[in-house]
Amino acid sequence: MDEHVLLVEDDPSIREVASLGLEQAGFRVTATGDGRDALTRFRQGPFDLVVLDVMLPSLDGLEVCREIRRESQIPIVMLSARSELHDVVVGLELGADDYVTKPFELPELVARIKAVLRRSTAGPSEGAISVAGLEIDPAGFSVRKGGEDVALTATEFRLLLELARRPKQVFTRDLLLELVWNYDYLGDSRLVDVAVQRLRGKIEDDPAQPKLIQTVRGVGYRFGQG
Amino acid sequence: MPLRRRLTIAFMLAVGLSAAALAAGSYFAVRHTLLADSVRSGERQARRNLAIAPVYLSQGTDQLFAAYGRGAAGFLTVGIRRGRPFSSSLGASVREVPAGLRRLVGRGDLGYERTSLAGDNYLVVGGPVGRDTELYFFFPENDLRHELAVLRNILAGGVGILVLLAGFAGALLARQTLRPVGRASAAARSLAEGLLETRLPVEGRDEFGSWAQSFNEMAAALETKIADLSAAQARERRFTADVAHELRTPLTALVGEASLLAEHLDSMPLESRRPAELLVADVGRLRRLVEDLMEISRFDAGQESVHAETVELGALTASTVRARGWERRVQLEADEVELTSDPRRLERIVANLVGNAVEHGDNDVAVRVGSDGGPFVEVSDHGPGIAREHLPHLFERFYKADAARSGGGTGLGLAIAQENARLLGGRIEVWSEPGEGTRFTLRL
Repeated sequence: MDEHVLLVEDDPSIREVASLGLEQAGFRVTATGDGRDALTRFRQGPFDLVVLDVMLPSLDGLEVCREIRRESQIPIVMLSARSELHDVVVGLELGADDYVTKPFELPELVARIKAVLRRSTAGPSEGAISVAGLEIDPAGFSVRKGGEDVALTATEFRLLLELARRPKQVFTRDLLLELVWNYDYLGDSRLVDVAVQRLRGKIEDDPAQPKLIQTVRGVGYRFGQG
Repeated sequence: MPLRRRLTIAFMLAVGLSAAALAAGSYFAVRHTLLADSVRSGERQARRNLAIAPVYLSQGTDQLFAAYGRGAAGFLTVGIRRGRPFSSSLGASVREVPAGLRRLVGRGDLGYERTSLAGDNYLVVGGPVGRDTELYFFFPENDLRHELAVLRNILAGGVGILVLLAGFAGALLARQTLRPVGRASAAARSLAEGLLETRLPVEGRDEFGSWAQSFNEMAAALETKIADLSAAQARERRFTADVAHELRTPLTALVGEASLLAEHLDSMPLESRRPAELLVADVGRLRRLVEDLMEISRFDAGQESVHAETVELGALTASTVRARGWERRVQLEADEVELTSDPRRLERIVANLVGNAVEHGDNDVAVRVGSDGGPFVEVSDHGPGIAREHLPHLFERFYKADAARSGGGTGLGLAIAQENARLLGGRIEVWSEPGEGTRFTLRL
């Protein structure tokens, strides 16, 4: 394991201790405290994952997230205070994969990062799934809709794969949090809701009237008509 | 009875009674005058009739009746002469003359009395003629009676109309008078409902005017006082939120550093290991405190929202207990109760209540999940219990029932749990008996 993490956090103490922790956990870390600098560095090196603070000088974390998503489907984990959870939802809507609230213990952060990275490495090799006009190839990490490639983040891909593997089964948010995000117990259900919204935006003909991923009110989601 | 109706009725009574007294007085005065007039003119006519009677009687009663003018006389004549009755009309006879009058006339006096004949009213005036004859004249009084009846009706009608008018006027007056009272009570109600800017219009310089002024002064004082209080409270809460917020960044660094340190405790020299352990534990305590402070200030700012889903309360409680590693110390008895609520908040509440019980209640904590009118979670322990004087304050922030037993809590746990319960439309109840134990019940 030698994944390269771009850590963007403006507080020097947090930046240093997080770098230390991530390095001890076996990651290679490039750290910066500035949004613009973060974008410059992101464009220079290949990274496997970005850890991004919401509040940053010069260019805030949400803008950085938007810029990165414009160019790449790289996994992004946001750092935020609980009082900034509104910003976190915006970050998730912009395509962040997960978030960790401050204050956090390093093992928490490491666990979240590993969970996200696990999503972007191919699972047990399965055959491609072809359902409702979608071709989902777990090995190649690709989704084609009507012959065209659809660019999905690792989280969106896992979510689609879990749902499409068992069409018509209703998945509770908690189950999806467990299957996709690896939360063993009561994660934030907004992770699921926002990811489903983004996924619909990419694969549905009309995201406002979804046909593929249906909401089961008060319960969760399912793939296709029940 | 409302004051308005009482005032109206009193007004009607006053007007009605005085009008009735006035009307009755004038009616009886008029009646007396008219009847006396009638008697006077009857008597005059009778005297004249009696004076000329002896001349004509000797020629027979018909001569007498002729002299009186027959039917045009305006009166009927009956009489009795030497024991034989006679009459000018078929409708009347001496038998119709009242007995009292007969006795009076029998004694040789002139007299009168009123009587009715076949439904008509008459004034009967009689007197003797010589020794052997009595004459009685029936003067009709129907017209007089009719006039009196008309007068009576007019007066009664007038009184009735006056009473009605008095009713209207009284109601109007009462409403006018009592309007400030109604307005004042509406204003007091709206003050009580929290509309502190409520004021009364000050009209006129009467008692109501100065009353309204005092009311307004009171409302203004109240408004200022409450505005001051809530500004102070908002400042205080803002300050708490700011402090918690500002603590967050250094705390994040601290927590990170402590968790790095925690991984290397074993490789530390013995003399620095214990302080490092304490440091790690204290950073954890500080973290919990700051997180609780931040959470309670979010409640104060009204920033908390509910993410409702279908929840099975029994399963949620079971997994809460399991996730915290309490299953060995907790007897769980859970029915299947489904509801729509926010599972994360429910989890927080249940974890807090069970955590408290596990901390204070020795090892036999019982948790019951069920439904009686509404879903509930009941957490009871057989610990030392809580003294009665502490019970009302248990949900206050930083309230410690027993300073020596403050334990590892932040002092905000129950306050947060109660806020969460309220946000979910429920409440937490507490029962405790020193020596027997404590029972917290979350009702939804």
